Amino acid sequence: MELSFIVIDDSELDCFIARKIIEHTDANLHVKTFQNAQLALETIRENDAVDSDAITIILLDLQMPLMNGFEFVEEFEKLPPEVKKMYMVVVVSSTRNNKDIFRILTYRAVHSRLEKPLTREKLLSLIAEARSR
Amino acid sequence: MSEKVKILYIDDEPDNLVGFKASLRLDYHILTAVNIPQAMSCLGNHPDIKVIFCDQRMPGTTGVEFFEEIRVSYPLPVRILLTAYTDVESIINAINRGNIFRYVKKPWTEADIVSAIDEANKFYMANSMLAIKNDELQKAYNELNKFAYSVSHDIRGPLSGILGAINIAREIDDVEEMREMLFLMEKSLKKLDTYIISMHDYYSLQRGELKITDIDFTKLLDELKPIYSVFSKTSQVEFNIQINQQEVFRSDEVPLKLIFNNLLSNAFKYQDKKRSNKSVDVTVDVQKSMATIYIKDTGIGILGSHIGEIFNLFYRANSQEVGSGFGLYNVKSALLKLNGQIEVNSVMHQGTTFKVTIPSI
Repeated sequence: MELSFIVIDDSELDCFIARKIIEHTDANLHVKTFQNAQLALETIRENDAVDSDAITIILLDLQMPLMNGFEFVEEFEKLPPEVKKMYMVVVVSSTRNNKDIFRILTYRAVHSRLEKPLTREKLLSLIAEARSR
Repeated sequence: MSEKVKILYIDDEPDNLVGFKASLRLDYHILTAVNIPQAMSCLGNHPDIKVIFCDQRMPGTTGVEFFEEIRVSYPLPVRILLTAYTDVESIINAINRGNIFRYVKKPWTEADIVSAIDEANKFYMANSMLAIKNDELQKAYNELNKFAYSVSHDIRGPLSGILGAINIAREIDDVEEMREMLFLMEKSLKKLDTYIISMHDYYSLQRGELKITDIDFTKLLDELKPIYSVFSKTSQVEFNIQINQQEVFRSDEVPLKLIFNNLLSNAFKYQDKKRSNKSVDVTVDVQKSMATIYIKDTGIGILGSHIGEIFNLFYRANSQEVGSGFGLYNVKSALLKLNGQIEVNSVMHQGTTFKVTIPSI
């Protein structure tokens, strides 16, 4: 199975870190980073080639300008089911606000939530979960 | 002594009203009413009535019924019942239904009334102070809530980024890659530092005395100019300053600088990147002990529906750039301290103009 990543985070540093961790974990993993969730959404919409043997893990920040994590998930859920199936949305945030965390986990499209910073261990367990899906 | 305490006395016997007024008018501001409708209109016209005396036995409505009615519509004045009848039933009613403060027996003596007014006035003052303190507390509590919410994002965010960077630094061998990461770490730290400085501004604006000095606006802006000229050059934004000050202007330099800094950095930050002929224009005009300041940009503008909220703490109307949501709130607090005013005029994709007026102190 082919595995790739989309990182959505308004912080340049956090995008960089996510990319480096992914690349250092496995050089064959493909990573795209977006500091603007709207752009990420457009990219996902445009890519309509359905490939049942590929999965993309979306690492999503919550508090972002223009389009925040909540708004992104709402739009994402409107995509056709065969497109949604190719993605696994994982929220990566620094918030300690339980209300926010609880709220984001109520969305069906959200697989799970990780606390920042992203580390190799957290990434490895994510990859294992994606592969077993 | 300050103003006389305003008192309303209601009794269906005009003689009683006259007697009451005659003996107390020197020390208090006495208003009288011979029936309930008159009393109601009196309460409507004088919102500052502090104490109400009312006779119990009146045709139609009793004193207790009247008090019961105004408990809701006019809760502030302290209620005192006057009556010749001292049966337990009416006392219980007066307390439970009319929620009265005191009960004065008829025929009253002047000493009874004076002591009742004194106590009622103290009670009234304590109540209104409590209401003010409550409002202040509520406001402080709301801001604290917003703080707590923002702390996890605005402070923890950059910190966790740097922690993450340190984690992967162990695996990076390439010097170029390392440099790139250090550059990003620096950016994150600067953002955090800006946040903390704004937080400090916020805090010191809430406290502290004013330090009044002579203000020379030309000098003040000369000090600020270098900060923005770098930005002006790199982003190709024209920066114009025009100052007309012939007279002495006295104010506190610290909040004044804070106002300029916040409005200027917004004016540069929220420029329309696609547009040519970008500019920021500052004009200061000091006339008749009043400084009128215009800060005009050719930026992206603020949506009409957001304008009412931009001065709120942690409110962010636009997210083109990183902001803390402190800036304009601090501007407003600073202006409150300097007794100044601010107006905004904004057209989407055309630009925003802030007009600030500050009196010389």
